[in-house]
Amino acid sequence: MGESVQVATFRIGSEEYGVDISQIQEIIRMVEVTRVPRTPHFMEGVINLRGQLIPIVDLRARFGMERVAPTKTTRIIVTEIGTKRVGIIVDSASEVLTIPLEAIEQAPEMIAGVGADFLQGVGKVGERLIILLDLTMVITDPQRKELDETSLSP
Amino acid sequence: MPDEPFDRAEFVTYFRDEAEELLHRIDADALRLESSAATGNTDPEIVNALFRALHTIKGNAAMLGFSEIASLAHGLESLCDMLRWGRAEVSPERIELLFAGRDLLATLVAATPSDTEPPPELAPFLERLNGATHTATSEQDAETFEADVARMLSEPAKRDVLPAMPSGVRRPTIRVDIDRLDHLLNLVGELVVNRTRVSDIAAGLAQKDDSAGKALLESIALLARTSGEIQEALMKVRMVPIGRVFERFPRMVRDVAKARGKEVHLEMSGAQTELDKTIVDDIGEPLMHLLRNCVDHGIETPHARQAAGKPRAGTIRLNAYHAGNQIVIEMSDDGGGVDPDRVFARAVELGIVEHDERLSEQERLELIFKPGFSTAESVSDVSGRGVGMDVVQKTVTRLKGLLSVSSERGRGTTFEIKLPLTLAIIAALLVHVGEDLYAIPLDSVVESQRVEAEDIRTIQGKEVVTLRDTIVPLIRVAEFFELNVARDPEKAMVVNVDAQGRQIGLVVDAFAGEQEIVIKPLSDLVGRIPGISGATILGSGAIALILDVHALVADSYASGRVARVDLAATEA
Repeated sequence: MGESVQVATFRIGSEEYGVDISQIQEIIRMVEVTRVPRTPHFMEGVINLRGQLIPIVDLRARFGMERVAPTKTTRIIVTEIGTKRVGIIVDSASEVLTIPLEAIEQAPEMIAGVGADFLQGVGKVGERLIILLDLTMVITDPQRKELDETSLSP
Repeated sequence: MPDEPFDRAEFVTYFRDEAEELLHRIDADALRLESSAATGNTDPEIVNALFRALHTIKGNAAMLGFSEIASLAHGLESLCDMLRWGRAEVSPERIELLFAGRDLLATLVAATPSDTEPPPELAPFLERLNGATHTATSEQDAETFEADVARMLSEPAKRDVLPAMPSGVRRPTIRVDIDRLDHLLNLVGELVVNRTRVSDIAAGLAQKDDSAGKALLESIALLARTSGEIQEALMKVRMVPIGRVFERFPRMVRDVAKARGKEVHLEMSGAQTELDKTIVDDIGEPLMHLLRNCVDHGIETPHARQAAGKPRAGTIRLNAYHAGNQIVIEMSDDGGGVDPDRVFARAVELGIVEHDERLSEQERLELIFKPGFSTAESVSDVSGRGVGMDVVQKTVTRLKGLLSVSSERGRGTTFEIKLPLTLAIIAALLVHVGEDLYAIPLDSVVESQRVEAEDIRTIQGKEVVTLRDTIVPLIRVAEFFELNVARDPEKAMVVNVDAQGRQIGLVVDAFAGEQEIVIKPLSDLVGRIPGISGATILGSGAIALILDVHALVADSYASGRVARVDLAATEA
């Protein structure tokens, strides 16, 4: 058997997404998020995870989709990118899948309104299509950089 | 290298730290020597102290194989030896030689442990030094030195054979990485926060079941005391006297004064005042810059001073003291003072402000802190490159401190820096804004009170309220942060804060008590948010954002959100 990746899958709307499990620290139920003013619209706020402050990104808002009220299945996936931790809000978390590399295809230009920038590829598992997310792109915002620069200059 | 009899890297670090300390002392002693020589009676104890310090550096350097440092220290030691035995007179040239040698030594020490080439000026300097000490540096002396080195190299592990400074018994100390201390402090912070939570639970239990709940409450009280003490002790560990920063100033003032043809006395007090190590580390540069400016621009030339009926030599006073939860550093000179109108004219020239901008006298004076400002007509090599004061301002602000200036024409200028003792834990007033909780650092809170809606009036269409006969402009926190919170039609809860000497009322929805909070930075993924300096986790587990009062006020002024009552008053 060739090389493969293990991904944790989750749903947003009708699409199924996957993130490399090595980037995932834990998956928790939705908790109260403290909003932080003057942040990009997709920045939901921060949560207290056992004494640590974790910023939370709403993936729906990030992808330009309509926000929905949290439900019983809503989860926060706490990911670790480098030394930075960030939680992402998803509609529901599904399972861990092993996808052979040869089953992963280049992402088409646009899927479900998600810019190709965010995607690493699309994995085919049987009939299912798993959109593989590039988390680094999800949390780094070109606008954010600009914001930082303007707030730094007097 | 497994055969190394001792951990060399650790010793090099130790050597460098100790050498730097000794170099500071050499600097101070050389200055004392210089002033005592000027009065004609040299205190032999000063020369002895110089000799011992150099001797220690020499010995340690030789042990670690830093031969350039060892030979230079040896040469300087010989110079001091001559002075010590009266074989040579303490002349300005010899003192200059001592200063130059000390600086070269500092360069070499700073370069350790890298094996880079020694600086090109070393060899000629050693020759010069050798020439100056030639009469005294006998063959025998050199031989003794080499024998010393050989002996030390053969007994590397026995550090205690090295001559120690006879400054009393050295208490055993241990060097600890500051990160480890920070980590400990963070953990203790959590402990302190959690104890509040636990005692809340215990209090709830005590209501239901007397005996068990009471016992629990008692032991928690004990726990609370211990954890509080740990926290305090740990904070003390991080505290260092500000004198560490002060000790390099006399030399710098001397050099700058000399270069500018001025006579300056530096009087320092409060060197033993302690504050957090990280703050001490960062405040050195800004203070240095302020001092340089004082000498360069503040103090007049001896000639001008005499003409103004002042003593030839100017005086700069540097004083540090504790005031509540803060440390205050004052630097005042008896120089010519700063003229606000000239500052304003210059700022207009430099394009920092518009010529028709209306500013109070104090605000005009404070233009010197703006980026790009410089009053120097000619760019000197000492200061006044058009950069600097804004950097001082920035550093002080970053350290959550306040920088202020006051000046009297012809009488002098005073800079005042107020800094928090520590950056890790602060006392804060918690407030509700809509559903959200915010923490306002208590050190900037003047008072908080309920104000009836009908007492809020407007000036230039912006809200103000009269508190204790003072007109205080208001900022609605919810509107500043664009939070979707409706105004209370009946009342406003106002937190009166002091930001850079200006009073501003922050309008919130409710007060939620005072608390000690542990400051946590917001993830850099969230970015920098004007008006918010961090967040904290409360005993309940809830998160409160910490308001950056100064940024909030500055931003509000800049965007024209607040009433300019100071200007309105001057116009009335």
